[in-house]
Amino acid sequence: MPADIHALTGAYALDAVSDGERAEFERHLAECESCAQEVAELRDTATRLALAATEDPPPVLKSRVLAKIRTVRQLPPETTAVPLRHWDRRPLALRMTTMAAAVLLVVAAALGVLVVRQNQQLDDTRAQADEMSRILRAGDAQVLSLDEGDTGRMTVAMSRSLDRMLLLGDDLPDPPSGRDFQVWSGHDGKMVSAGFLNPSNGNAQLALRGIGDADQIAVTVEPDGGSEQPTTPPVMSVDLPTA
Amino acid sequence: MGDRMRRVREARTESAGDVGAELMQRVARGDEAAFEQLYDLLVGPVFGLVRRIVRDPAQSEEVVQEIMVELWRSAARYSPERGSAMTWAMTMAHRRAVDRVRSAQAAADRDDTVGRRDVGRPFDEVAEQVTTRLEQEQVRRCLRTLTELQRESVLLAYYGGRTYREVGELLDTPLGTIKTRLRDGLIRLRDCLGVA
Repeated sequence: MPADIHALTGAYALDAVSDGERAEFERHLAECESCAQEVAELRDTATRLALAATEDPPPVLKSRVLAKIRTVRQLPPETTAVPLRHWDRRPLALRMTTMAAAVLLVVAAALGVLVVRQNQQLDDTRAQADEMSRILRAGDAQVLSLDEGDTGRMTVAMSRSLDRMLLLGDDLPDPPSGRDFQVWSGHDGKMVSAGFLNPSNGNAQLALRGIGDADQIAVTVEPDGGSEQPTTPPVMSVDLPTA
Repeated sequence: MGDRMRRVREARTESAGDVGAELMQRVARGDEAAFEQLYDLLVGPVFGLVRRIVRDPAQSEEVVQEIMVELWRSAARYSPERGSAMTWAMTMAHRRAVDRVRSAQAAADRDDTVGRRDVGRPFDEVAEQVTTRLEQEQVRRCLRTLTELQRESVLLAYYGGRTYREVGELLDTPLGTIKTRLRDGLIRLRDCLGVA
């Protein structure tokens, strides 16, 4: 980082930088709270210059804009972990490009919170966090998330090259009395038991190794202690992206 | 200029941030009537800003329309913790206008010698408008507290849509100096205007 990067706050707040400089400065901003604060204030200041330049546009512009917005769908609010309703249809594959690395840091932070929140249930929170960062640092890390409403939310971080996967459940209901949530990995239609999700206050996590060529992860409700093969339709299921 | 217009302008200068944030949240939920109010609140400064940067009237209108539609589209991305809705909108508007002139520039280098001459009188064209006079007077008074180099740099960058490199060439001044002047100038302006 050049020593004088802080001096760029003014030029940045005024859009007087090249695209490359903007990208570099934004990386700096993400780590520099005082810079972000200064940029916010300088932008407020620049806004006063815009207010002072106020000019009335032709009235016809308004009817054109109002007509136009009736044909334009609005964007949803931004969320940190990019929740995808159906991860099997729209898997979010994050490669460790420069851009994705920034996104992954955010995801890692969000998942870190999940992991920490569940620390009463974990023997070793640190091991879990280490597992997560190990996966996220792999060159082929992929993060998937699924929101199934009443059935809860799930986030999966996986790396084919490391052969590791971490499942994190949130807002999960308790399994019916005398039943367990059993996790399965699917291999070309063949289901292999991968363990259990034991929700505590709706949260659960499961670290998997040796996922091999798994092309699916499914969760079913099984009798206490589990079954050899799924005996009920999955309450959650996701097709895994190939490497 | 009717009473209604004057009220809108007053709202704009007095509590534009709060009004804007509340409107923005309603717009995010698809409220078209709220969007119309937001349009009235923002379109004056957006248009004035875009006109100064883009200059061509037809292109300016096109860019303003794009910006207003983008505000509708991305209203849900605004969050009050990030600052006032006014600044959020103006930041986006400035960026759009600048993108437009810079891509046009890349396509065919602009041959006119726009520069200090054009932005030297940024307020004259609208000076007769009652509506912005208060804001203008305050901004003008505060701009006078900047050194000449600070003021010219800030105005070329903001109203001219120039990069600091271009500002450096136009003012025949080393880049490091321009960077510093842009920051110092804005900080002085911020303190004078009582921003933050």
